[in-house]
Amino acid sequence: MSNRRLRINEVSVEFSGLRALDKVSLTIETGEILGLIGPNGSGKTTLVNAITGQVRPSTGAVCIGDEEITALSPRRIALKGITRSFQQVRLFNDLSVVENVAATSLAKGLSLRAARQTARELLVDFNLSDFGDMAAGALNHGDKRRVEIVRALAGDPSFLLLDEPAAGMNETESDALLATLAELPASRALGILVIDHDMSLIMRLCHRLHVISSGKTIGEGSVETVRSLPAVVEAYLGTSETSP
Amino acid sequence: MNRHLVTLICITLPVVLLVIAAELIDDRLLTRLATTLCINMILVLGLQIFTGNSGILSFAHIGFMGIGAYTSAVITMPARLKSMALPELYPIMQGVQLDPLVGMAIGGVVAALVAAIVAYPLMRLSDAAAVITSFALLMILHTIMVHWSEVTNGPRTLFGIVEATTLQLAAAAAVVAAIGAYWFKESRVGILLRAVRNDEVAAAAIGAHIPLLRWRAYVLSAFYAGIGGALWAHFITSFSPNAFYLRETFVILGMLVIGGPATVSGAVFGVFSVTAVFEGLRALEKAINAADLFSSTVVGLTEIILALVMLIVLILRPGGIIERNEFGTLARWPFMKKQNSSRGE
Ligand SMILES: Nc1ncnc2c1ncn2[C@@H]1O[C@H](COP(=O)(O)OP(=O)(O)OP(=O)(O)O)[C@@H](O)[C@H]1O
Ligand SMILES: [Mg+2]
Repeated sequence: MSNRRLRINEVSVEFSGLRALDKVSLTIETGEILGLIGPNGSGKTTLVNAITGQVRPSTGAVCIGDEEITALSPRRIALKGITRSFQQVRLFNDLSVVENVAATSLAKGLSLRAARQTARELLVDFNLSDFGDMAAGALNHGDKRRVEIVRALAGDPSFLLLDEPAAGMNETESDALLATLAELPASRALGILVIDHDMSLIMRLCHRLHVISSGKTIGEGSVETVRSLPAVVEAYLGTSETSP
Repeated sequence: MNRHLVTLICITLPVVLLVIAAELIDDRLLTRLATTLCINMILVLGLQIFTGNSGILSFAHIGFMGIGAYTSAVITMPARLKSMALPELYPIMQGVQLDPLVGMAIGGVVAALVAAIVAYPLMRLSDAAAVITSFALLMILHTIMVHWSEVTNGPRTLFGIVEATTLQLAAAAAVVAAIGAYWFKESRVGILLRAVRNDEVAAAAIGAHIPLLRWRAYVLSAFYAGIGGALWAHFITSFSPNAFYLRETFVILGMLVIGGPATVSGAVFGVFSVTAVFEGLRALEKAINAADLFSSTVVGLTEIILALVMLIVLILRPGGIIERNEFGTLARWPFMKKQNSSRGE
């Protein structure tokens, strides 16, 4: 799993005339956390959807290492080691928390016993073990988000794409989440892409940033570099930091 | 006690009690009623395996019941009867006369095989498209049964089927069926399929093979239907293709939907409660007519009230009477609730 990178090359996505993504290129290395930021409707979720196969890019390529995975089915992409969380939480509400997490390993072909075992261990790491037997639909919002991340991790992915993981969490919850996420790349040999509107979280968590606006890349680089780019300040950071 | 064990006891014990009651009372009508109930239970559990776990309503189920019934009827029928009951039967099959138990097993397998072949292309469909195609499949199977005179005697009644289904046999099959349905629900495929039912997009994103999961449930479901149909054939001993059409579909679907399709407990509860209401109403109708209370005889009371009960249950509890928790988790409920409320929401 080492040294493979997830490469998005000039990917464009069109929705009946609307160009949601326009030739966006980026790379996620194993072991790093890349932050993807941009104003509402700039195409962040669409980029994640294009990587995981939920939408089909009109042009461009997505590759893991040397292998092109553009427009494979979401299932195949998941099995190649790319898993995700959703902006609107999508848990299996009638299943227990353990079953939600175990489902990922089951889909990879693990036995029920092994999948449950892995799930329980992961839930301990995320301080969710008390809720293991509860129906996922009965959790509170913050816990649902964390279960979704654990579910994505259960497949032992090479790349984890998180769409606004801290949305709707209070400050304590999002600080705890930050601490957990920060350890993942090293401990699990994993590359992470994080989308979030919480700039403080993004600045503290990410090693690198990629900024898009209206579907186009308007800046990328280290947190410091991106922060000082005039186009970024104007398009995004300036407005975001002054609003409460 | 373990919740699985509690559930297994709750879904099988009623059958055992029913058999004991029938043995003690030893009434021919009661025995027939109990046998029918056990066969219906197998059919409803079979439907639960697919519809309950996948969330997709299937109308074709009773068509597979017909396949099991005709298959077993034909391959077990004594040769001398065959020339009368099925004059057009292919010569190669005229000498075939298997033991009824073997015939029933083959009936289940043939239903499952047919399902395995015809269903795969349908398993990509969800929602309304899936429901309407399943209905079309029922019509196709029915039309084939009506016209394939060589093996079904066409639209006419097929008679002379070996009587082989006893209450004990049907009850034993129902108990195994209940255990099997619960096992499936808790199995790898069952858990993943329920995940798909909850959220197809999220299930695909963790790598679930949606059509394959549905297909496996569908094939098992058709096997249940085939076995149920074969048991019924060797119980009733004569029938026509109309036995496997809309009326039976309505009854079996009604039992499942009223009881609660998402749980095996609901399926079993639906069979028992609907049968009880049905028989109660029938007795009432008979009593009213016997007492001559009204100037004309009362007919159709049973069907009307059953349909009303179904409407009322579905309006009040769209997920059926036992919506989510199996009997085993119903018993653990206070503990779960405590944990739940301490976290808020
Ligand atoms: N399935 C779709 N069909 C049509 N248009 C879509 C679809 N999905 C997204 N869009 C449009 O594409 C653009 C980008 O949307 P996207 O959800 O990717 O933005 P985002 O950066 O994730 O925004 P937010 O920060 O609000 O989550 C928007 O204009 C949106 O309306
Ligand atoms: Mg978004």
